[in-house]
Amino acid sequence: MISSTRRENMVQAKTGWIILVAISLVFWVSLSWAGQIKHLVAPDSAADCYACHKKATPIIAENWYESKHGVILVKCFVCHGQPDGQGSVPWAVSPDPKIVCTKCHDPAIKRMKAKFGLAPKCYTCHPFHQNSLHHRAYSKSQSKK
Amino acid sequence: MKLTRREVLKSAAAASAFMALNGTLPDLAGAAPGEPDKWVKAVCRFCGTGCGVMIGVKNGKVVTVKGDPNNHNQGFICLKGAELPSIVNATKSRVTRPYIRKNGQLEPASWDEAMDLVVSKFKAAIKEHGPTSVAYYGSGQALTEESYLANKIWKAGLRCNNVEGNPRLCMASAVGGYYTSFGKDEPIGCYEDIDAATCFFIIGANMSECHPILFKRVAARKQADPNVKIIVVDPRKTNTARIADIHVSFKPGTDLAILNAMAYVIIDEELDNPRFYNKYVNFMTNDKKKVDFKAYQKFLQDYTPEKAEKISGVPADTIRKIAKIFAESSATMSLWTMGLNQRIRGVWANNLTTNLHLLTGHLGKPGATNFSLTGQPNACGGVRDTGSLCHLLPAGRMIKKAKDRAALEKQWGLKPGTIAPKPGLHTIALWNAFSEGKIKAMFVLCTNPAQSLPNVNMYTEGMKRKDNFMVLSEPFMDAETVKYCDVLLPAAFWCEKRGVYGCTERRYSLLMKAIEPIGECRPDVDILLDFAKRMGVDPKVIPFNNVDDIWDEWREVSSATPYNFKGMTRKRQEKESGIRWPCPTEDHPGTCHRYVRGEDPNIPKDYKNKMWFYGTKDGKARLWMRPYAPAAEEPDAKYPMVLTTGRVIDHWHTGTMTMKSPVLRRSFPNAYVEVNIDDAKKHGIKNGDNVLLETRRDKMIFQAKVSDVCRPGLVFVPWFDKNLIINKLTLNAFDKGSKQPEYKICAVRIKKA
Repeated sequence: MISSTRRENMVQAKTGWIILVAISLVFWVSLSWAGQIKHLVAPDSAADCYACHKKATPIIAENWYESKHGVILVKCFVCHGQPDGQGSVPWAVSPDPKIVCTKCHDPAIKRMKAKFGLAPKCYTCHPFHQNSLHHRAYSKSQSKK
Repeated sequence: MKLTRREVLKSAAAASAFMALNGTLPDLAGAAPGEPDKWVKAVCRFCGTGCGVMIGVKNGKVVTVKGDPNNHNQGFICLKGAELPSIVNATKSRVTRPYIRKNGQLEPASWDEAMDLVVSKFKAAIKEHGPTSVAYYGSGQALTEESYLANKIWKAGLRCNNVEGNPRLCMASAVGGYYTSFGKDEPIGCYEDIDAATCFFIIGANMSECHPILFKRVAARKQADPNVKIIVVDPRKTNTARIADIHVSFKPGTDLAILNAMAYVIIDEELDNPRFYNKYVNFMTNDKKKVDFKAYQKFLQDYTPEKAEKISGVPADTIRKIAKIFAESSATMSLWTMGLNQRIRGVWANNLTTNLHLLTGHLGKPGATNFSLTGQPNACGGVRDTGSLCHLLPAGRMIKKAKDRAALEKQWGLKPGTIAPKPGLHTIALWNAFSEGKIKAMFVLCTNPAQSLPNVNMYTEGMKRKDNFMVLSEPFMDAETVKYCDVLLPAAFWCEKRGVYGCTERRYSLLMKAIEPIGECRPDVDILLDFAKRMGVDPKVIPFNNVDDIWDEWREVSSATPYNFKGMTRKRQEKESGIRWPCPTEDHPGTCHRYVRGEDPNIPKDYKNKMWFYGTKDGKARLWMRPYAPAAEEPDAKYPMVLTTGRVIDHWHTGTMTMKSPVLRRSFPNAYVEVNIDDAKKHGIKNGDNVLLETRRDKMIFQAKVSDVCRPGLVFVPWFDKNLIINKLTLNAFDKGSKQPEYKICAVRIKKA
């Protein structure tokens, strides 16, 4: 026989799971939407992303600039492609690791897979913008915790 | 189990993140759309870093590229390397069949028609004016086998030493520097020194944009050990300076005084290493007399930090500081490129940098080396090593030395005296002669001189003459030189052929053929073999059937010299991702540090000393007393500023390749002029304004980028843009030793247009 406290707990847990699934759905929809975000037309200088984004999205732009990718000039279009699809990788806010990250990090991905298994997106643990050469942010990344 | 509201939300967030991150993407191990059928091993087409790449091919087309994990770059590639597929696939802009110029227009022709015309022009010129009336102008981007073959066709087959190439424009001063200091060309150390150095002295090099993967390696070294010091000496505060502990800006052209002043401080502060230089170094005056250490000390009295400050504008204390860091570090690696090389005192600047290593003993141990970076993917392996310049023979031999000529004639099976004893014309002299109609027929291969030569108007006028003939082997129809050639041959591009690239660290890597050449394109090796046959060159001199035959002969030729790489068989090259010479046997791993006992196979294991500079007669390196001397064209009242040129990371050389990638083109669609904030204020120039640049040779309008990158008095223009060819403004004065032109400094005046 289930005690009333236990039943109460089960109801609460059920409610929790409903909320959980609902929030998940919102996150998923928003993330999918973000992946297809529309971009302003900037025909002649579309690849100089940083020039506009340091005004339009200054925090993201600054994060990139201070990151390892920023210091060694792995520019936005290398991973995110081009808004009109003219880049050599697909236009995406969240790059597909199989198409993008593997271009340079294939050996590390293989090592990771052999040692720990893989999360589908590398940047779950290795944030590509916040991974800074300065300020020792690299040692603070989730992968180092 | 009771869940609090906080716990519910926490687990919900975690689950949603998990779902969002896991639910939409397939596992990394699964097949990606467009997954290649095969991966083909090659080397990047761009800079001298020579990164290994794996080319992804699907249905006979290049679909992607990634870094080769087994080459020195450990899988990393830069943004240009990542764009290689879009350049390979830009087939609409390719030359796909031969053309002959008729009535000023290039008209389609068959291979036979084109080659018959080429050969008739070369034969007529030789018959009427002798073998010195024809020439070959090659490239540090051609494959090793292509350069070796052209060199042999001209020097042995046609008995003509007019063999030159664009490496004269980019690293001839480094060749002169290494040759005068050590008696042999090419760097002593290797890229692994970056991982061991505790001080980097980067002078006249914007590694961040010109050698991005090596810059990454330097940055990683700094990241791993924050005590590592980085000194960047450059009149521009480039992206390279972002990781520097000290950026030293100086009046352009005065680095010779700074380098001598650093030597002064090193001795004055007793940071020198007498144990090293007493054993391994000769002190030499500028006129080649051997002197003692005291004479060198006396020479340096003209370069106290205070005197150097007056010349260079660098505070004396800063010079003292960087000299101390250089000397006190446990292993200093200096890195330089065009900032030192493209100068009328380029060889001297190279020597003075090497002097600091000879004085402190920072040489021949991990991390301690003087390392010249090169600009093109195969300037070292293809042109320097094969001796494809007018004064050289393969493997470090010199045309002017009878002994060297005789040794090569024997190896090549030629009659004694076949190789002409007089060196040919160096690049500037060659193009001067072509412009004057003295060179009657020129074969240009894999390079774009109508955009890359300095003071280029002079030479494009010469190319328009009717009494000279130029055949161009070129993959891209919009290359500037196509406008001027008489015959245009469709060259197979990068991954459409097989052969070797040799990068800055003496590493030779095989590029495998990934796809078939498009249209009627042919590899340059095939074109040159066809040319030799039609010219009637003795088949015993050119006995090759394919590119692998050429490699095998070149290996054999090298084996009699300290360059020895006989152990790099094709079979081994197919398996391995690059091997560094010397590599005498198939089981030899290749050499990291030359001139070091235990590492360099040219030195007996029981040799009495740790180092042996076997390139010189007495086995000692040479420390040269080179004075400061000004640039060829210093600023004056009429032209009060300095113009310098260079690269941006997104583009490479004349842009014929990088402008084919939509993103690279958009990243920098046009050349611009970089102006210092103070200069901009003085001239009323705002960011984006049109600015007129005028030198004694030409004038041109550029859009301004106002920033603090250039120091006051200096402007910078990148040279990739064929619509704004900055070389119309640059100077063709050249170094007396290396014959390399001074692209980096000329006088200019600017005003708002």
